[in-house]
Formats: sequence, structure tokens, C-alpha cells
Amino acid sequence: MTRRSWLLLFLATLPIVSCRRAKQPGPDPIARAYDVEIDWNDPQRVIPLNYTQAQGKRLFYTYCVWCHADATPAGPSNRSNVNPTPALANDGVVLNPMSDQLLQNTITLGGSAMGKSAMMPAWGKTLSQKDVQALIAFMRAIAQPPYAPPARPGAQYNVK
Amino acid sequence: MSAEDMGKVSRKLRLAFALMSVLFLIVLAISPVKDTLLPWRSYKRQFARFADSRPEHKRLLADFQPGVDQIWIPQLGVVDRCGTCHQGISQPSLDDPSVPAVFRAHPQIPHTVADWGCVACHRGQGRATEVQEAHETTLAWEQPLLPNRYIQASCGSCHLNDLREAPQLQRGRELLTRLNCVGCHKLQGITRPQMLGPDLTNVGAKVSREWIYKWLRDPRTLTDKDGNVTVNGVASEPRMPQFRLTEEELRGLSAFLSVQRHDVVSPAKFDARVLAVWAKKSDTVEQGETRFRQMFCTTCHAIATTRAGQTTLIGGNIGPELTKVATKVNTDWLVAWLRDPEGYLPHTSMPRYAWSDEDLYKVVRYIQSKLADSSLLSDVPQLGAPTDAEIQLGKRLFMQKGCSSCHVIDGIATPTEFGPDLSQLGGKTTSQLEFGQSHIPRNLISYIRAKVSDPPSVNATARMPQFHLSPEDLDAVTTALLSMTGEPPTPAWAQLRVSAPQPQFHPAGEFGEIYERYKCSTCHKFNGYGGTLAPDLSFEGSRAQRAWLMAFLKNPQTLRPTLTLRMPQFNMSDHEASVIADYLTAAQQSHDVRSGAVDTREYTPALATLGKELYEVKYQCQSCHTIGSSGGYVGPSLNSAGLWLRPEWIEAWLRDPQALDPQTIEPRLSMNDKELKAITAYLLTLRQPIVSSKASAGGTP
Repeated sequence: MTRRSWLLLFLATLPIVSCRRAKQPGPDPIARAYDVEIDWNDPQRVIPLNYTQAQGKRLFYTYCVWCHADATPAGPSNRSNVNPTPALANDGVVLNPMSDQLLQNTITLGGSAMGKSAMMPAWGKTLSQKDVQALIAFMRAIAQPPYAPPARPGAQYNVK
Repeated sequence: MSAEDMGKVSRKLRLAFALMSVLFLIVLAISPVKDTLLPWRSYKRQFARFADSRPEHKRLLADFQPGVDQIWIPQLGVVDRCGTCHQGISQPSLDDPSVPAVFRAHPQIPHTVADWGCVACHRGQGRATEVQEAHETTLAWEQPLLPNRYIQASCGSCHLNDLREAPQLQRGRELLTRLNCVGCHKLQGITRPQMLGPDLTNVGAKVSREWIYKWLRDPRTLTDKDGNVTVNGVASEPRMPQFRLTEEELRGLSAFLSVQRHDVVSPAKFDARVLAVWAKKSDTVEQGETRFRQMFCTTCHAIATTRAGQTTLIGGNIGPELTKVATKVNTDWLVAWLRDPEGYLPHTSMPRYAWSDEDLYKVVRYIQSKLADSSLLSDVPQLGAPTDAEIQLGKRLFMQKGCSSCHVIDGIATPTEFGPDLSQLGGKTTSQLEFGQSHIPRNLISYIRAKVSDPPSVNATARMPQFHLSPEDLDAVTTALLSMTGEPPTPAWAQLRVSAPQPQFHPAGEFGEIYERYKCSTCHKFNGYGGTLAPDLSFEGSRAQRAWLMAFLKNPQTLRPTLTLRMPQFNMSDHEASVIADYLTAAQQSHDVRSGAVDTREYTPALATLGKELYEVKYQCQSCHTIGSSGGYVGPSLNSAGLWLRPEWIEAWLRDPQALDPQTIEPRLSMNDKELKAITAYLLTLRQPIVSSKASAGGTP
């Protein structure tokens, strides 16, 4: 082959090489998240939230934070005034074993309907079912120890 | 040429022709081959395989077809082919993290993909059928996908009203309003208020030249031990941004402002009898502090207190933070201001309190001795008397630097559109932006973030001052600016736009005068107009009994004991209180609460006993409300409910609280009529009289 054809071949490969995209850095889960929540136990850890969990966060900080957290937007928490003391919303030890259905019933129908303290009011007429599901999704996202969904609904009740 | 030769040539030609035919065939085949190898086809095949593996495959593949899927909504200009690859986007059963991200269902938002398409919210290119072209900026397509972090900007492009569902957008809009960005920029959906920064026509009578110098160099006078202006998580950032001024400019501006002294402030005068008693007392300052707290000045003004090395900022942010105010203003001005704030600033939100000379003297003494910091101005050089050259320079700078956009001085015109128009910023493409010498990524989001957080990094000669925002606030402001995409692209979009209501509430007559004097709408909402700090008073006449209103206005008894921000004690006269009570009772009524609807004879003691049981056992209202000294702090205390609330209101409220106040967090419970009446009967028996605040020590900040 002549020198010129080599040159042509080289020139022809140039656009192909230059068109290759630079390697993209891996997606940053925080930047891709719809919203974030700082871990209640570890201020260094940022938990990414998806849309549903973020709606749950908004509802939680409107309706639930007063009794189910130790710090509230207004300062002091009402948690110490309530007897029996309500569970913290991120308390995985208490909440992880409860199924989504149980939590949904407790929030919707209130504590007394589920054989628990009547201090927990029924929210079923104030919040929609979708709202309650979003709240549960948020609680699952911030749970400590982290929540692992059961392989199939009800699997956590398997008795060996 | 002989015939034989011609035959040879034609054989050669035939060969060439055959070769060319094969070549053409190959060339012609390129297009269909490329077409079958297009990435979207492989996504379609993958989805078909994925759907087959799911139990609900029949439903998933009901609309499956091999071609490009497109949403076409002509009136909105929507042509979105995103569904070609994102096959599961409207399949609710695929809303699960285990589903591959491409095929995952869209979360359940109030809008459906079929009605709105994708690009309207996510941006990117709806017409593109290649991954990169659809999602990123390429040479031919300029609009990249909006990251989820800022997606609430898209809500704000159409919803110009308050949107509780998009808290980040709300926060961003609040910040743009609070930081007075409209002073220099045109913004979408934010109108210019009557007063931005204070009127400086008479500022020389209020503060010294040294203080102006210090303030202009860095308006953040309050810092913690690390030099941060954020004290204990509460931003103590003043509204005034930091300008980058040279020593000469600082001297010029401080000289110009210190000679703005149009009216002479008369020396502070107190009643001689008050002075005779209180000037000699040893505990005047302590009593002044008690009075300061009793009057709840901290509802609007924050004060930094250091306890055990920990500085906390206590109080609201409606007015300026006051920790070192006595070093700032002179005493004569302070007394004149406290007596009549509107005399100095006509549009101020500071109420005109009805002071007794005694209280005023005590509080001023407290401010003088406790809210001062003698070392505040120690790093300011000796400035001396202002020279004419300095004053002239200062006057020029006052206009050049944009001071006159927010501050008024008699004789200096307010410029219109001092900074660039930002009402279409969110819709700009990369080629419309000037990145200057900066090394930030070439896209709109990094441009906005750099411009807001560090203006000279993009443009070295930027006039924009420095705002100090936390990372979350920077995200929020970026979201709000991204939402400003200018005029709607089509008439159909214009019709869909939800505009922000612009309610006004400026009653006339005597009530109107009192309402303006005490600035009620700074904290309370009236028929949609006003602040959100305190309860909405739109239906106050249906809620509260007149006698209770009178007593409360004379002495704002605290309904919510844990609040640090409470209604100030205005020291209003009996006449003023009765005018307010009359107006609220007559005018601020709800259609849903009818006074004739209840018969108070029904509330028998037996019913009240039943109500007490329902309150304490069945519904356990004490988890949020206090009666006696026990109960929760979430709702208001009910100790005086029988004196405070009207029976028809209690019944309507218990039946459906959200119908009367959509924002309330009181849950709507399924009470039957008898239960409603029983609890109402019980609450009406709670009649603890309102105690005098002079007896109680007031809040401790």
C-alpha cells in the first residue's frame, strides 16, 4: 500500500477513536436520589430516598415526628409525655419484625384497634392509604438496624 | 478498437459491474442491519424476555408491539418516545427495586405518563431513540435530563402557587423572597415587596460611621467559635449579603451613609418620676430583661446565648438578630424607634407597642447593658470625620454597587432591573450561558450553583454580592431558579398553569388601624393573606368566645406551653381589645359552623362524665393535649377550653378538623354524634381562669 493510502486509513480511524465517549463515573446515589435523610444515629451517614420515601418523609415530619422522634422541628419532643413511650420511627429492632400490613393497619386504625395503646390515634380518615404506604416506606428506609424485606409476604413468620 | 478487444473490455466491465452490485447490496444492507441492531430494539427484546419471567406477563405484554412507542399530545407539543425502552413505566406491578431500573414503574405521582409524557418534567429529548441523545447533552440536542435532586423544579414551572408536596421548591422560593433577590433580578412568581432593605434616608442618626464600615465589610457580626455564622444549626445569616469592597470603597460608603441625617432624633426623655425611682434601683436591668422576655420580643428577634461553651440562637427571624444591638444603634434613636417604629420606617413590620415609661426605661436599660459588645468595633480603623471626596465617592458607589436597588435614600432613584432578568433562566440551554474562565462542568445546574454560591468564579467583575447558603439551601435555591422557565411554550400549557393567588387583607375603619398598628398579618393569616407563624384567624369568630378573645388580647396567655415563639404582649387598651374582638366575632366566621346548630341544654353533667371517659380512655386525647398539668405538648392546652371555644366549633372540629383547617395535624377520628356531643360537654366544663402574666415569670429563652 502506498503511503497516501495508509494516511487515509489513519485519518478514517480518527473520528471513530475520537467519538468514543469518555468513561462516565459511576452514578452517585445521593445525586440521583429524590431527597435524603440524615441517619438519626449516625450524622455522617446520608440515606438516599426515592419519591415515595420522600413523600413519607414529608408526612412524617408533619404528623408523626412529635411523638416518634426525639428531636422535632419545634424543638422538644412529646415522646416523653406519652405512656407507654412510643417507638422511635427508625427503631429497627421493634419495627423490622412487623409486616407492612401490620404497620399499615396500626397507622390506619389506631393503636386500640390493634390491641396496642390507644394513645396512637387512627389516621385512616386523615391520611390516604397511599400516604400511609409512603410513611411505611420512609420508616423502612431509615430503620436501624437496616430493614430487609421478606423474600415473600409473610416469610418472616416462618417457624422452623 | 477491434471487436475482440471490445469483448475483453466488456468482460472487465462485467466483472466491475458484478463487484459494484455486491458493494451496493452491502451498502444497501447497512441501513436495515443498523436498524435491527438499534439499542432500543434490544431493550424491547429484553423486556419481552423479562415480562415472560413474571407471573403477570399477560398484562405486561398486552400493549407490546415491536416498533417505537410514542406518546403524542399535539396541544402540549409532547412527542415522547421514552416508553420505547422504559416499557414498564406505567405498570404498577413493576414498582419494585428488584426490577431492572430501565423497566421499573414510575412512582405514583399525581400526573400520569399517558396524559403528560415524560419530557415536560424530566427534560431531555423525547424524540430521541438513542440512550445518550435522550438523556444527555450532545451536539444536536441541548437539553439534558434534569437530575432527580432538582426534579421539583418541574413542578414549579406550572404550579406557581404553594405546593406542600414539593418542600425543596417551597424552601427555595422562600429563600429567594427572604434574601430579596427581586431587589436586583426579575423573578417568575415573586413580586417586589413594598420594603426590601431599610430606608437609609436618616441612617446617620441611627448608627455610627464605624458600625456602617464594619457592617459593609461583613454583615455577619455573630459567629461561633469556629467562625461559622450558623449557630447550632440555626442560620443567623442577616438578609444583607456580603459585598466585596476595597478599603477605599468602605471608607467612601460609610462616609456617605453617615451623613444621611435628615431629621434630628430628639434626645430620649422619660417621665421624671420614673427616672427618680428606676435610675437608682439596683435590679433595673434584671427587671428589664424579665419584661423583655414577658413581652416576647424573641418571637421576632433572635438573641445568641452561650451556656457551657455552646452558643445557641433563640428566637425568630422576622426582625433582625439583636445580640449586639446596643453597640449598633444610639440610645436616643432606640427610644424613639421603640415608641414609634413607623415614624422612622413607614413600611416596617415592627408593631407600635403601647409602652409605659417605666417598662420602656427598664427594657432600654437592659438592652444597653446586656445586648452590647464593646469589642465589636475594635477591628475598625479610625475613620474620623467624612471628607467631601469620600462622600462623593460613596454616593457614586451607592448607585454603582446596587445598594439603591434595596435601600431608599431621598433623592436617589431606585434602578429597575439592576441585575439580569432571571425569569427564564431555568429554560436556558448551555449555549446561552457564559461560563467565562471557570472550570465548572458546562451545564445549567453547575452554572446556577456557581453563580449563586460564588459569583466571581464565573464572572470576575460580577456585581452580585456574596450570599452564604448551606448545601441544602443552595440546592433549594437552584431548584427554585430552575423552575423559572418563562412563558408557557403553548397556549394549552398556559391554560394548565396554576397561578399563585394574590390575596390581600387590609380592612378599613378602626379595626384596620389597630390591625396595621400591631402588624397582625405578620404572623396570622386572614382569609389567605398573612404569615404562617401563628394560627389562621380566618374563622376566629366561629372558634373563640368573645370574652376569651378580650382576655387573651389583653394578656396573651400561652395555649401551647412549649413554644418559644409566642404572641407578644402589646399592652393594648381595653378599647383596642374590644374593637379587635368585635371585628373577629362579626367578620371572621365560617360557613360550616352555625351558632344555632347546637343546643347547650343537651350538655348535661352525665354527658360530660361520658365525654371525660371518651377523652381519657377511648381516644386518649391526653397524648397531645394538656389538661391540668399532665398531657402532651402537641396540641393546645385545653385547661380553659370551656371559656375559649364555642360549643358549635368544638362539635364541627371533632367531626372533621381538616374541613375547618386543611393544615391541621389533628387526626380526623370516626366519632359518632353522641361521642362528639359528650366530648364537647366535657370540654365545656374546663374553665380554668386565665392567669395574669404579671404574676407568671414569662418564658425563659
